[in-house]
Amino acid sequence: MIERLLERARGKVDGADALWRREEQTAVAFESGRLKAAGIAEEAGLNLRVLSHGRMGVAGTTAATPDPDALVARARASADLGEVVDLAFPAASTGPLPPIPTFFDRTANASLDDLIRMGRMLVERLSRPDCQINVAVEREIAETAVGNSAGARGEYRATGIAVTADVTRIVGDDVLMVYDQYVGADMPGDTDLEMLVRSVETRLTAALKVVTPPEGALPVVFTPAGLAAVVLPLEQALSGKTVLQGSSPLAGKVGAMLFDQRLSIEDDPLTPGRPASRPIDDECVPSRCTALVERGAVGRFVYDLETAARAKTQSTGNGRRGVFGKPHIGYTNILFRMLDGGGRHGLPLSAPTPELGGGLLRDIADGLVVDDLIGVGQGNVISGAFSHPVGLAYRVQRGEITGRVKDAAVAGNAYDLLKQIGGFGNDGRWLGSRWSPSLLLDGVSVARR
Amino acid sequence: LKDRLAAAVTQSRAAYTEIRVERTWSSAVAFRGRRLETATVSEDQGGFVRALNKGCGWGIAAFTSLDELPAMVARADELSRAIRLDEPIRLADATPQTADAVLDLDGDVRGVSLAEKKKLLDRYNGAMLAVSDRIVDTQSSYRDEVSEVWYVNSEGAAIYQLRPEVVISGTAIGRRDGTIEKGLESIGLRKGWNTVQQFDNQFRIVAQRAVDLLDAPRVKGGAYPVILDNELAGVFIHEAFGHLSEADFVYENPQAREMMTLGRRFGKPVLNVGDNGAAAGLRGTLPYDDEGTPTQDTPLIKEGVLVGRLHSRETAAKLGERPTGNARAISFRHPPIVRMTNTYIAPGKPGAGFKELIGDIKLGVYACGAFGGQTMLENFSFTAGWGYMIRDGQLAELVKDVVLAGNLFQTLDRIDHIAGDFTWNQMGGGCGKGGQFPLPVTEGAPHVRIEEALIGGDV
Repeated sequence: MIERLLERARGKVDGADALWRREEQTAVAFESGRLKAAGIAEEAGLNLRVLSHGRMGVAGTTAATPDPDALVARARASADLGEVVDLAFPAASTGPLPPIPTFFDRTANASLDDLIRMGRMLVERLSRPDCQINVAVEREIAETAVGNSAGARGEYRATGIAVTADVTRIVGDDVLMVYDQYVGADMPGDTDLEMLVRSVETRLTAALKVVTPPEGALPVVFTPAGLAAVVLPLEQALSGKTVLQGSSPLAGKVGAMLFDQRLSIEDDPLTPGRPASRPIDDECVPSRCTALVERGAVGRFVYDLETAARAKTQSTGNGRRGVFGKPHIGYTNILFRMLDGGGRHGLPLSAPTPELGGGLLRDIADGLVVDDLIGVGQGNVISGAFSHPVGLAYRVQRGEITGRVKDAAVAGNAYDLLKQIGGFGNDGRWLGSRWSPSLLLDGVSVARR
Repeated sequence: LKDRLAAAVTQSRAAYTEIRVERTWSSAVAFRGRRLETATVSEDQGGFVRALNKGCGWGIAAFTSLDELPAMVARADELSRAIRLDEPIRLADATPQTADAVLDLDGDVRGVSLAEKKKLLDRYNGAMLAVSDRIVDTQSSYRDEVSEVWYVNSEGAAIYQLRPEVVISGTAIGRRDGTIEKGLESIGLRKGWNTVQQFDNQFRIVAQRAVDLLDAPRVKGGAYPVILDNELAGVFIHEAFGHLSEADFVYENPQAREMMTLGRRFGKPVLNVGDNGAAAGLRGTLPYDDEGTPTQDTPLIKEGVLVGRLHSRETAAKLGERPTGNARAISFRHPPIVRMTNTYIAPGKPGAGFKELIGDIKLGVYACGAFGGQTMLENFSFTAGWGYMIRDGQLAELVKDVVLAGNLFQTLDRIDHIAGDFTWNQMGGGCGKGGQFPLPVTEGAPHVRIEEALIGGDV
């Protein structure tokens, strides 16, 4: 399909690149412990970008049998209004693409019954008389093909599976929601499912007792899930786009020591077994790892082809595109690496779920463990400032969790808080496409009613 | 097409089958700073089949290749049969509707050139950039669509709907050294080209606000009396109560049902809340929901007391109530689930204005505009765009980072004054639930006063 489309574009435009993707999903849903629905979804789409008289235009379609000429015509019409971009499509790579396993037969071949069995096991393990449990199992198989008029081509198949367990406990007027998931390219093993069960149970058990929240500027442990509000400003500020636009507080700061010197953050599309991993990006740029933060210093910003051309630098292979719209910058797998005494902590722990707080509670006289915040992403994110009510948080007193707190709000600034990290937890894990441990951050504002 | 779908339904072996086919024409223009990002026209189409057999679960198939329709009907039936249930799924009785419902296009966007749309957005984007050289970046977008939706089911329903939508939004980023602030304007209507021509001033105002916020202090954290402006009061009721009134949260959960028993008091007698999918011309408006049920105005809270909830046919049957036309899907890629449409706090005493609300507040916060909101049912957040301190009954300094922490049982009950100045917020964006985002919804409210609410920040 890509070949035919690029063939039809030849001669009509200065250059073109395209992406074709076919996705097939199978999902089962347990509602309040009962298997209620099973579904499939199939979708295929084609996205074309052209350069015409130096201007860029895009067009996409989900039509079953796309008309290449019509798509080229629409992309050219889009280019007529587009900006002039000095964009060079990457040439065919000389060597093979990085060998990264993205397709797992076990995942692709899992039957509906396999998915149901896995969901049922979780329901049985997590059932408690006062809790309602919802479980969803979703498996995806995707084929991607990319190509451009400079001769570059890439094709790969990928699998993904997400198993989500969601427990709601209502007692009187107290609503407690605890949630966790396994996400991977390969099927979860027994250990993975066991960790999921224990993770939910641990957090549920610690939450049964409700205690009064503390108040003031306090030490707070952000679990890998609770860390989202602190990481989001960095993700926005490290995007080459916000740097170009002048809205990134990190612009012009490459090499500056802005963070704790033990902190390194990478974007790594070559991590084995992750659904976001891929050998080549959606613009035919071979994948590679990018150091975003290196031992506390601002590292490299991420770029797609267009922003790289404008910034007069190279794409980092972070081009992402959907069926409609033009390619944009997207992260793949974000990994926190802690450097402690020069050593590198390894990747995912396969040990049983560590305790809540990742071993960071010992020295906390009074503080919080934050596992979930409400409304993350809805404020003035790029400034680094955040302020959120707690969704799930625990009070820590004299080094121990004493119960769950409600009706409290935490606020701070990600840039200030990450200057000095009080400790890295021993509970590093994947959460979606981010791997991180818990972080202990000091001086987080906690307000209560 | 309707006949083709009706024929496919007839072929189905399932006890109940429904098919939804959508074809959406849309165009989009976006600016980032002074640069055009994209100007595109797209067509998206696909189908959705849902089947239910006696004693079985739902079987679902979503697809982009319409040639596959008969195969997908068979597949949905098979998937349904693969699930055995002790307690069967029932659907509330409904009179099968047959209708062609064509909403007013008010200037068909399909007849306007992409160049003209670019020109309009360029004007609004330029209005933001012209406010100050401290506006370093903008994100402006224009998006319109005309969606055709065909719905048929095995009970005889056959509905065609034509739904237009147009959304314009702009974010202005102000910067002075390391301080970065933003202003956000967003307008969404279930109408067409004619309705989005006169918003220059709104875009100027948000850019000016981004500049003004550069000098504003962060709000100090703590519990305050708070007045919500119309926009934030709308987001508040959506998050605070709207999601809890969606019956899919309670229908399978005895404890939740008890917590949300009809007749329970949630607020003072000044509080009246509802959801109206039939209101004319709003973004959350649609004649029929995605199960073919006509939409309606559903009272949820009457004089402080819980009187109703939002239903699909399945949740209504389970609770012995009537469907309310709130089963909605964001597209053919998803099943219909219980969602809000246009949710509102009804106006208080006619003529009662802002002055009556602010007069006796010694120290408080006037929270304005909305960056968003999210709920975990009992606890929820609603994020204001900006705010003012209230001192001795008067508006005082501008403050930033105003995020409110709400509690369903405490915050609703502390609403003690509601003004008479009701407006619908014609916002873009949308609501997210169960992986379906953004669903077009509207919120409406007058100014609302909460005796005491928690605001995050330094203490």
